[in-house]
Amino acid sequence: MSLMNPSAPALKEKTTKAEIKRQSVLLIIAALYVVYGIIFYYLPLVGWLMAFQTYTLKGGIFGSEWVGLKWFKFLFTDDTFVRIIRNTLAMGVINLVATTVTAIGFAILLSEVKNIWGKKLVQTISYLPHFLSWIVVTSIVHEAFSTEGMINELLVNLHILKTPISFFSHTQYFWPIVAISNVWKETGWNAIIYLATITSIDPSLYEAAAMDGAGRWQKIKHITFPGLRSTIIILLIMNIGNVINAGFEVQYLLGNGLLQSVSQTIDIYVLKYGVGKMNYSLGTAAGVFKTFVSMTLIFLFNFIAKKTGDERLF
Amino acid sequence: MKSKKIFALTMACMMGIGAFAGCAKKKDSITNFKMFACMPGKEINDGNRIQEEIAKLTGVRVKETWLTGQTATEAVGSIVASGDLPDFIDGGDGSDALYEAGVLVAWDDYLAKPEYANLKEMYSDKEWEMFRKADGKIYWANVFQNTYGESKATGHNDEAFWIQVRVLEWAGYPKIETLDEYFDLLERYYNENKENADGTKIIPYTALCDDWRYFCIENAPEFLDGYPNDGSVIVNLTDYDKPTIVDYNTTPTAKRYFAKLNEVYNKGLMDPNFAIQTYDEYMAKLSTGAVLGMCDQWWDFAFTVNDQFKASGFDELGYNYIPLGLTIDKGMVNHWHTYGDTLNAASGCAVTTSCKDPDKAFTFLNRLLDQDMLNLRFWGQEGTDYLVDENGLFYRTQEMRDNWADATYQANNVCAYSYMPQYGGTSRDGKNAMTPAEQTSEFFATLATPLVKCFEAYGYTTYGDFLGSPVEEMGFWFPMYSYSNNMSTNTKGGVAWIKMGECKHEYLPKVVMASDFESAWADYMEAYAACKPEDFLAEMQTELDRRVEMGKSA
Repeated sequence: MSLMNPSAPALKEKTTKAEIKRQSVLLIIAALYVVYGIIFYYLPLVGWLMAFQTYTLKGGIFGSEWVGLKWFKFLFTDDTFVRIIRNTLAMGVINLVATTVTAIGFAILLSEVKNIWGKKLVQTISYLPHFLSWIVVTSIVHEAFSTEGMINELLVNLHILKTPISFFSHTQYFWPIVAISNVWKETGWNAIIYLATITSIDPSLYEAAAMDGAGRWQKIKHITFPGLRSTIIILLIMNIGNVINAGFEVQYLLGNGLLQSVSQTIDIYVLKYGVGKMNYSLGTAAGVFKTFVSMTLIFLFNFIAKKTGDERLF
Repeated sequence: MKSKKIFALTMACMMGIGAFAGCAKKKDSITNFKMFACMPGKEINDGNRIQEEIAKLTGVRVKETWLTGQTATEAVGSIVASGDLPDFIDGGDGSDALYEAGVLVAWDDYLAKPEYANLKEMYSDKEWEMFRKADGKIYWANVFQNTYGESKATGHNDEAFWIQVRVLEWAGYPKIETLDEYFDLLERYYNENKENADGTKIIPYTALCDDWRYFCIENAPEFLDGYPNDGSVIVNLTDYDKPTIVDYNTTPTAKRYFAKLNEVYNKGLMDPNFAIQTYDEYMAKLSTGAVLGMCDQWWDFAFTVNDQFKASGFDELGYNYIPLGLTIDKGMVNHWHTYGDTLNAASGCAVTTSCKDPDKAFTFLNRLLDQDMLNLRFWGQEGTDYLVDENGLFYRTQEMRDNWADATYQANNVCAYSYMPQYGGTSRDGKNAMTPAEQTSEFFATLATPLVKCFEAYGYTTYGDFLGSPVEEMGFWFPMYSYSNNMSTNTKGGVAWIKMGECKHEYLPKVVMASDFESAWADYMEAYAACKPEDFLAEMQTELDRRVEMGKSA
């Protein structure tokens, strides 16, 4: 199952002209990807220079004044930015945990459904929200959680609440609401890959377990979970870098003045303080910082995975 | 297999020909330009009747696009960064960024030529000077608030405390002058009327707090103290030669205003969702006719809401809004309504360097100011959209008026090029108004019955009359918001400005909803002081001094 097998002997083949010729098509295809990567991923990095300047539209990258680390200093002495890092990481982690757990749970439940039609139907319906844009989802969420919305109506009718709660007036509800929105939108979609993994588990394992008298729960615990383990870890490593991409649209569209101390993320900060106030350098500095956090997290998690002897990316 | 291939080939050919034919069809002698305006607006349909008529007469067709879900500076920032510029642009608050990026064509050469006399005529030499940028050139002309001949203004396009006309009618058309009287009236009406005829629950007062539109709750203190809309500050004129900047957020009036809102909120007269409603929800709420009053700018709600009222027949129930010129105490002079043209030189219609034929673009702008073009843009085509009586006065039949108030009809038949050079005031024929909305007979004919009754009861002929502001020209520095809107986080003042905004976004609703107003206000003042408003005010004072100097030298 390992992506990289360290125990395999390193085979060093000599690169011959004939070899190059034989693989020429592959090389050309690979070269195209390399060129694509350079143009679209590496060349734009030149723009990072803006973070060390006071960038003006007129001067451009080569004509603007160099100011060293001024904007990074500004960021880390700014209370707002420090709070925004907290919001971003908190929402990123909550979202990651919530969407992963629900997706796995949902995939397992779905795999236990024996009726093929029911299974297909539920699966199709569950991943449809993935295709809705956030602007649509947030209007639904905003409506559902409003004082006259269905959530309040439900809670009041069930006598859990006496009077409706104004969910968007209190900071403590915001992160859970964002997590719920993410779960509602992405659970079905995220479950697909886990479901595929479960399908690929050798059915004879289940048959053998049944022969030994294992019940459903024991089969899930001892066969399905271990079967999913490597997929979960690879996906976690890949997603951990995204923790800092906690979102932009959801928070931007669901937030309001009362909630801004918990709703603003780094992306919103870049838009408001950078692009919106024509301070592109500040925006770039915040973006550069974000990238570094992302990379650090990926390396860190990969390292931990390696140490504990699990799957890893590189 | 073979027949399938041939079939596919035929289809491909046909599509190719179709595509070419599509192109060829568009390649008439008309030049197609694009325009982007940094304001939300309605796009018109292709083949719009008046757009085509203008195209026939001028050889130019302009596709207008509008701001959606961004602020002007964000939009300009991304347009400049992408390099994908339209031919014409009104950068709004982002205009300076366009100038800085060097993507605009200077007007100077054109203004000097006799062929562009119409453009030159828009402003006096002194006024054109105000548009001049640091490099000594003129890059745009503001197209609004420019009166030709005698003013015929009938509207109040600005901010006010609005009240539904039925409330005034119910109370026997009283004179409402102060904030206290206003809320008292709302309360009395609400005590006797809890629901509309269709069962909608009445909301006596709401205040929008959404994003940049939070001015609806935020800037009333400057008006309540009698000052005009400088937007971000008060300009104190005690010493006329050396005006000073005053922060309206911390004045005693500000505290009294928010204490009043707090009282109103705790009495249950205020929309419980005021702080969390989005702009769309706010507009939906107003459109049901449920809201008796709010503080807002006319352009922020009236165009959509009035059309909705008309469509649903609510206008005849007296749901339309009347502006009131409130002050904090009785007997104060107010400046809610400003007379004369406010020249906002900070933004305007510009031609970009991406325009392939700037000569043609300027010729078109110049041509748009000819009277036949102005008539087409604002009145429409004679016979179809308006008629002329024996005295040469333009008028419309009821059917024509209804058509022009209908959104679908507008998209297919109305093309005002509303962000390109234009005039208000009197037509060159000396009789008519430039726009139907300012033609007194048309203005009254389009008003719903309850509004007409209200105008007659007070003896007023324009919306502006309701405000009762003195008729006087604003000072040379007016309005100061043209500076604060363009502040960058590059300066201390700009950082303070954005922090103050965030602080107010959070604390103003809290203050209004607090059970203990005094302690909430103290918390707010503490958080506000931490934003260093003094840095912002100092920069505004510098700018004010600069403008005063400029005014003296010009």
